[in-house]
Amino acid sequence: MAINIRELHPSFAAEVSGIDIGRPLTPNEAAAIEAGMDRHAVLVFRDQPLTDDQQIDFSRNFGTIEVTLARQMAKPGDARLREEMGDISNLDANNRLRARDDARRLYALGNRLWHADASFRAEGAKYSLLSARVVPGSGGNTEFADMRAAYDALDAKTKAEIDDLVTEHSIAFSRGELGFEDFNSEHSAKLNPVRHPLVLVHPVTRRKSLFLSAHIGGIVGWPVPEARAFIRDLTEHATQRPFVHAHQWRVNDLVMWDNRTTMHRARRYNDAAEIRDLRRTSLRGAGPYVAQCLAAE
Amino acid sequence: MQIQPLHPLFVGEVSGIDLSKPISPEQARQIEAGMDQYGVLVFHDQQITDEQQMDFSRNFGELEVSSQGEMSKPGELRLAVQMADVSNLDEHNQVRARDDAKRLSSLGNRLWHSDASFRAIPARYSLLSARVVPGAGGNTEFADMRAAHDALDAKTKAEIEDLITEHSIAFSRAELGFDAFPAEHQAKLRPVRHRLVTTHPGSGRKVLYLSSHIGTIVGWPVPEARAYLRDLIEHATQRRFVHAHQWRVNDLVMWDNRATLHRVRRYADMAEIRDLRRTTTRCDGPTAEQVLAAE
Repeated sequence: MAINIRELHPSFAAEVSGIDIGRPLTPNEAAAIEAGMDRHAVLVFRDQPLTDDQQIDFSRNFGTIEVTLARQMAKPGDARLREEMGDISNLDANNRLRARDDARRLYALGNRLWHADASFRAEGAKYSLLSARVVPGSGGNTEFADMRAAYDALDAKTKAEIDDLVTEHSIAFSRGELGFEDFNSEHSAKLNPVRHPLVLVHPVTRRKSLFLSAHIGGIVGWPVPEARAFIRDLTEHATQRPFVHAHQWRVNDLVMWDNRTTMHRARRYNDAAEIRDLRRTSLRGAGPYVAQCLAAE
Repeated sequence: MQIQPLHPLFVGEVSGIDLSKPISPEQARQIEAGMDQYGVLVFHDQQITDEQQMDFSRNFGELEVSSQGEMSKPGELRLAVQMADVSNLDEHNQVRARDDAKRLSSLGNRLWHSDASFRAIPARYSLLSARVVPGAGGNTEFADMRAAHDALDAKTKAEIEDLITEHSIAFSRAELGFDAFPAEHQAKLRPVRHRLVTTHPGSGRKVLYLSSHIGTIVGWPVPEARAYLRDLIEHATQRRFVHAHQWRVNDLVMWDNRATLHRVRRYADMAEIRDLRRTTTRCDGPTAEQVLAAE
């Protein structure tokens, strides 16, 4: 059966059918998916029951898996899944719902802010792949925003103003926005800001995109409050409803997105009563895109 | 005096009145009735002095001293303490430098807020008069918090009905990474409590009492409260609830802080002057019981 790609939104996001991603891909299939990612930035695969091993194998067609920061900072014995799997659930290591004031739960609430995965790493992230194993009865959508369309829609003056700006990203910024600062001191090096251009050029399509993320805490050379107010304005522009696609999860959906050309966020659900078990693999980016300062990793 | 609606939900434009002259009790009642209905009233071509602005404002309650006035030393202020200086000028009428602490603190006005919601007895009306306006940018946007409440689903309305929030000027400034408050003003940063849903005394309508000054919800973990408040502000400031006011010299805009949010948009404040002056009247009382630690 041939791979079929159907558009879900006028500017990005598409649904892929005609492929079983639990089996090894042929080089042609992998190339077709990669080309689909270049064009659509978000791909949705329905009815793909996957084991963690299958998800990892599928992900490796497109790059090198990166261990999530949450996992790198987790205590031994605190993790439910193997190291390559980012645990996007409300479950603890014993498969119980996390308590309301559980630090891991409060940390994860940062995912409700618009962000690009791992933008706090100098190398950035390429794709993220999220597989739904258990979904709540309502809420918990993941929303995506097209940062290429958002860039294209800026006026010429703004494009000229931002073209050479460099931003600083840290996990501590996005968590600080929500008042979370419960980081273990042994991980303080992981909180060092890294630098990225505000405008990225996609290596294949050469399209420009706005490289925004809740992890941004400053613009190099700008006073911090001015930078943050401007980044908020840009984020508001970039996440207007015409640039957004909401994914409503079904069990066995796998959604993959390109963190260089999209932002995403999770929406609220009743996490005190319902289970949402999503599992993420993430691929390392090809950065750094700009020189890092000495203080950064 | 006539009022023409400027938006399907709120905001009226008032004509047939001269604000530089004393107004009659009947005119004051008409304006209050207009405020109850529209939440925001726009008066064009009102060339007024600071004294005239204060006199007009006193028709609607006691004037409050701005927090900027309270936190400034004598000689640092360009205007009387009842006149909040919403400009990019220092006391010598020079454009403030890029890293000027007052400039950076005032950037907090670019976040959606309700004036003085960080006070236990917050602001009722704000009245903003435009003396000098930039060539582009610097609009003030308003959002209708009555319509925003009406548009919530029943489940959310029930969930939020009795929630109590904590407000502090320190929260909104920290959102932008500003924390350069002088030590002697720490007491002014103490959070105060307000209901998240209030009933407007003039219109009887329920209102979402939101503000970027909110740092948490009583009884909630802080990150959960802030994520939820962001969702509510996003809901409440959808374009259909928003009116953008593009300033002309001698505009006076007055808004009800108990029924609306507002924010300023960016302009080239290093190159152009924007001299707006605000008077603010006080509410009659608090919206929620304060804890002992609060003011």
